[in-house]
Amino acid sequence: MDLATPLLEARAISKNFAQTRALVDARLALRPGVTHALLGANGAGKSTLSRVISGHVRRDAGEIVYGGQPLDVRSPREALDAGIAMVMQETSLAPDLSVLENIFLPDLGRPGRLSRSAMRRRAGEILADLGQEHVLPLDVEARDLSAAQRQLVEIAKALALQAKLIIFDEPTASLSPSEVERLFDVIGRLEAAQCAIVFVSHRLEEVFAISEEITVMREGRTVAASQPTSSLNQTELIRLMVGRDIGSIYAASAAPSEERAAPILSVRALSAPPLVRDVSFDLHRGEILGLGGLVGAGRSETVETLFGLRPRAGGEVEFEGRPFAPRAPAQAIRAGIGFVAEDRRRQSIVPDLSVRENLLLGHLGAHRGFGLGYGRLDRRITELMRRLELPSERLADPNLLNFSGGMQQKIIIARWLLLEPKVLLLDEPTKGVDIGTRASIYAILRDIAAEGAAILIVSSEFEELLGLADRVIVISDGVSIADMPTAYLDEEKLTLMAAPRTSMERNRRLLQELADQCDGAAFWAILDHERVFCLNAATANASADPSLRAGAAPRFEETPIGAALKARAADFVADPASGLKSLVVDVRSHRGHELGSIGVVVPAGASPPPAEAMRAAIQERFRATL
Amino acid sequence: MSEDAERMSAVAAKTASDAGRPPPRRFSLRSAPLELRMLALAIIIAVTLSLLSPYFLKTNNLLNLLDQSVTTGIVSIGMTFVILTGGIDLSVGSVVGLTGVILGLALRHFPIPVAIALATLSGAGIGLFSGLLIAYFDLAAFVITLGVMAIGRSLAYIFSGQTSMSDIPPQLNDIVYTTVLGVQTNVLTLLALYALAWAYLTYTKGGRTIYAVGSNREAARTAGLNVLFYSVLPYVVSGALSAVAATLMSAQILSIDPLAGTGLELDAIAAVVIGGASLYGGRGTIIGTLIGVFIMVMIRNGLNLLGVSPFWQGSAIGAIIIAAVLAERLLSPHTRR
Repeated sequence: MDLATPLLEARAISKNFAQTRALVDARLALRPGVTHALLGANGAGKSTLSRVISGHVRRDAGEIVYGGQPLDVRSPREALDAGIAMVMQETSLAPDLSVLENIFLPDLGRPGRLSRSAMRRRAGEILADLGQEHVLPLDVEARDLSAAQRQLVEIAKALALQAKLIIFDEPTASLSPSEVERLFDVIGRLEAAQCAIVFVSHRLEEVFAISEEITVMREGRTVAASQPTSSLNQTELIRLMVGRDIGSIYAASAAPSEERAAPILSVRALSAPPLVRDVSFDLHRGEILGLGGLVGAGRSETVETLFGLRPRAGGEVEFEGRPFAPRAPAQAIRAGIGFVAEDRRRQSIVPDLSVRENLLLGHLGAHRGFGLGYGRLDRRITELMRRLELPSERLADPNLLNFSGGMQQKIIIARWLLLEPKVLLLDEPTKGVDIGTRASIYAILRDIAAEGAAILIVSSEFEELLGLADRVIVISDGVSIADMPTAYLDEEKLTLMAAPRTSMERNRRLLQELADQCDGAAFWAILDHERVFCLNAATANASADPSLRAGAAPRFEETPIGAALKARAADFVADPASGLKSLVVDVRSHRGHELGSIGVVVPAGASPPPAEAMRAAIQERFRATL
Repeated sequence: MSEDAERMSAVAAKTASDAGRPPPRRFSLRSAPLELRMLALAIIIAVTLSLLSPYFLKTNNLLNLLDQSVTTGIVSIGMTFVILTGGIDLSVGSVVGLTGVILGLALRHFPIPVAIALATLSGAGIGLFSGLLIAYFDLAAFVITLGVMAIGRSLAYIFSGQTSMSDIPPQLNDIVYTTVLGVQTNVLTLLALYALAWAYLTYTKGGRTIYAVGSNREAARTAGLNVLFYSVLPYVVSGALSAVAATLMSAQILSIDPLAGTGLELDAIAAVVIGGASLYGGRGTIIGTLIGVFIMVMIRNGLNLLGVSPFWQGSAIGAIIIAAVLAERLLSPHTRR
């Protein structure tokens, strides 16, 4: 690690949007050749800070020193001229222009003649420097590119301007794992070329894999500046991001009761391509069930399908014991299901109706009859407002958009509570909601669950799932891969289970090969000090079956291979009770990231293969695919 | 994460503390209801015209104004419904022409009430056709109704034999010239239809759904509203009301011209927009539209009284439309999209 002076140093940056303080005393220091991760919860101000640096947003106060000079860019254009580029989530490509034209788009705005042949040569050089010359055809229109290719065009565009500082805002959000690896290789080359890189991401495992330094933001402030990545672990990072012991805002959830009545909603092998492929779970009365996973794993699409917003391709759903296949939300609502959608502005708020009518919109949808039927509900609305700690007089406000995110969300939740749903689906219900309002949303969800409603909550924030839900279903790449009580889980396990995998099927095939090869069984799992969280398993010989199934988390002693799981020895360990001999191998990615453990089980009588060769073979084979 | 999300949560953090306090209110032109602003404009125009022309405020001229408002006024009700859902109906003028011709043909074979019913049903049918194409297949309202506009006018010519029909039973005249308390029935019909439309849009599930669909279609669907039905209904209403307008027009002059209603769509759209409706949907009121109709008719009437050349009248009306929309955008408390 070189200790060069910072290429860019931002100090005491503040920025207000109207009356909102997006940045208060934010700082950031970037060094050439170093990838710097910028972290923070939703609304922490990391995007705003990035945009201040890239000229998309002007700061209100503070100073930025860039290459030893004060920097005051007024537009992205000026920032680009200074060598600062931002690669955005929503890319800024012109869809009708070719890749080549997009790479040199900034040049098209300059006076003078353009030489296409020179442009083409230069583009070839840039892509060759990135090692991507075969990935990106120059004459294709930008609209036909994949998300990863578009991102590559953005990077090339930045390099065409000799950018010295490149900000990546959530660059991996829509990439497949192999594309993420390729992006990381590109970032590596940019580091080697002495570019300063800012990497904004939610995915902590990627932050650990790619960054050298970390800056953490919270509520517009920098709370940790330029910490070496190696000095932090995941828990510390989360504590820095959240800023306090998150457990305190979740009241203790009831212990999961083992015996339950029949589920109110039972989902089997639900599919709604492309994002929902095979999702199964049961939801019971009085339960808060979490749907965890990464953005894009198919969680939102799952609940939208259940609510009749998306066509279903396959699978069976039973609601109160009867087959249930709503073709429109109206059917789901009349059956007794409510849905708080993820995107409030797009899916929930009707800006031209008053706050009161927005609250009553779900009622209007469920209402049969010519009139409105508003009058009868006045008392219930007053009571709901009191319960949600909302001042009743604000119902008369003409525009819900003038409310804060938290109050908007309370009104939308009240919209559904008014219907007294049997099942309430919530998609990221605390997105853009302040922590105080969160606590009261959690409290009311817990109340209505106690009153017998069944609640299904989708959340990208694992600590929210762990704090609020009784049970979590983990969805990865559109497949439900685990179903376990939150009491057994922590964020690390959830993260590993939710990590996107190229394909569970491929992983299963490898496990099967391994099982066949030893004439036994193989599994992939995460081990803690008492439980084994099985992610995938394959069996070739029934007498070696360790009875682990994907998504289950038995205690070590509940499995027939408990001794081996406890010992995690270098050699095969025979279980004193069952006699099964097993080897557990921890797998790390070539970036040193933990990927759980692979276990091999052979029957009691068989002689196990040599452990050392096995270990090496497993490391080799699984490193690339997990 | 989007900047919006960040801002929203930052707003949330800030306003959590003062959630209990309502925002400060003060009266201003910006916060006054739209109808009031438009009524003020209408009064200003009326006062100006009465100062400029001594005839303007004469009872005869005022009754004449109301009489002139009937056709545009009735068609503008349907147009308001359509525009509230975020659509547009360019076909109203030629539907007036076509349903007039259908009325004329029907009157040759059927008694008057049956003929009127047939004309109204055919108007509704045309609206159903456009509405289904637009809402079910998600096609652009502008294009579909432009097509229907051309077809309607062409059929009007063909069915009428390219000439005006004057074999209308004189009794048809009665539905216009019967008076109640000294007011002609066509004016009463106009006012009754406005009252009905106002009640529907304000006090019924359907009316509120039309607003919700126009304001945020996705949210309306998510809330379980029948978006398809209430996207089609306005076109049906618009078609049927075009036929009603055609009926009253034919009854008044006892002659049916296949050219009737030419250019009416522009007057209706102008009235709705002057009345404060947003062409993006979700915003506007039926009272505003009525005031918009009066403003349009007053200006035409005033320009005639002042002896302004008809060639200049188009410029005057166009300028007023543009000014009204511009004023609305500049005064609008929240600019959308």
